[in-house]
Amino acid sequence: MEDASRTFGKGSLPPGPVPEGLIRIYSMRFCPYAHRTRLVLRAKGIRHEVININLRNKPEWYYTKHPFGQIPVLENSKCQLIYESVIACEYLDDAYPGRKLYPYDPYERARQKMLLELFYKVPHLTKECLVALRCGRECTDLKLALRQEFCNLEEILGYQNTVFFGGDCISMIDYLFWPWFERLEVYGIADCLNHTPALRLWTAAMKQDPTVCALLIDKSVFSGFLNLYFQNNPDAFDYGLIC
Amino acid sequence: MSAGSARSLAKGSAPPGPVPEGLIRVYSMRFCPFAQRTLLVLKAKGIRHEIININLKNKPEWFFKKNPFGLVPVLENSQGQLIYESPITCEYLDEAYPGKKLLPDDPYEKACQKMVFELFSKVLTNKKTTFFGGNSLSMIDYLIWPWFERLEALELNDCVDHTPKLKLWMAAMREDPAVSALLNEANTLRGFLNLYLQNSPEACDYGL
Repeated sequence: MEDASRTFGKGSLPPGPVPEGLIRIYSMRFCPYAHRTRLVLRAKGIRHEVININLRNKPEWYYTKHPFGQIPVLENSKCQLIYESVIACEYLDDAYPGRKLYPYDPYERARQKMLLELFYKVPHLTKECLVALRCGRECTDLKLALRQEFCNLEEILGYQNTVFFGGDCISMIDYLFWPWFERLEVYGIADCLNHTPALRLWTAAMKQDPTVCALLIDKSVFSGFLNLYFQNNPDAFDYGLIC
Repeated sequence: MSAGSARSLAKGSAPPGPVPEGLIRVYSMRFCPFAQRTLLVLKAKGIRHEIININLKNKPEWFFKKNPFGLVPVLENSQGQLIYESPITCEYLDEAYPGKKLLPDDPYEKACQKMVFELFSKVLTNKKTTFFGGNSLSMIDYLIWPWFERLEALELNDCVDHTPKLKLWMAAMREDPAVSALLNEANTLRGFLNLYLQNSPEACDYGL
């Protein structure tokens, strides 16, 4: 795993400049937003290095990379910084050759961006469900709201009659959605897909994609991370690392 | 009279026909700042277009077929393709039409514009908390306030109808003792602006 490295925390030395021919991503192994960008890096075969950040104990130098210390951030050898996961993903698609993840047609590009608007409640709802369950609270209303969002996405797949959100092949929009669907099981809310068969078919198809597969996070490692994270243990972010 | 000043279509109105070839249609509202973005790009790129104004207080039923969210702006072309969300419409026009490119070609420069826009959008939508710094008023609110105070003077209050959280923020700010003590009465501000625009040296002392 390219990203299997210990996090940088407070007191750590800042990393040096990014070597030419590489792009660096500041990330965290379990963060869904950074996951999007890592999927794009992998899908496009872009040579990169990963620096994991301890999000509960951020290095002081990290605020020079992002004003609020958020991830993901891309840094290239020209010292250019790009943040916001969707912007970073689009930057990579524009800046690097090879396979294009966004369609060429301006209308189809716009369609993918409009689809992203439909998705905007999902990250918040999945997180709220996770927190509720971990704190022993019930989350029936939250799950209902999440199911409603999934129904909206189901409608799109039904209307389009395609396997993926961008058509018959996987494309950018699928990668932008994926991280939250991968987490449903380990969050304990996979049953939210019970009433959305097309969406279930989509997740199955996604799991067949070589890029998605290569970055799939081990369930027991993820559970271990979540346990420590909810105990406010700053070592959570390095859970499961051998070195 | 330009098409942009046509009466709006409201509930009970007949849906417009298809968009003629060679034109693109924008569903708009004359005072909506989000729709104005799209109109600016159409103008800047010299794109032939027709405008249909929508009565946002009494929306036609057919309008929800154009945009399920029922908001303007929406673009419709002669192929019946629909594009909504103001930044998406703007980017679509830049990509689909020839002539001067408004977004930079360089991927990093383009990303920079999008990052700045994200920050600006966060100010406009103010999604999370009552005030910009949290649940109570703090420095950032005072730093931003003066520009919004001027909206009233310039009779642009309706701008914030789209963004109810911003409207609530403005109302909350007006109750702050510091803000209300210094509130520039709308008339005074208008008087100043009138003279200022005429380059009058009396402008700065208006109302004294």
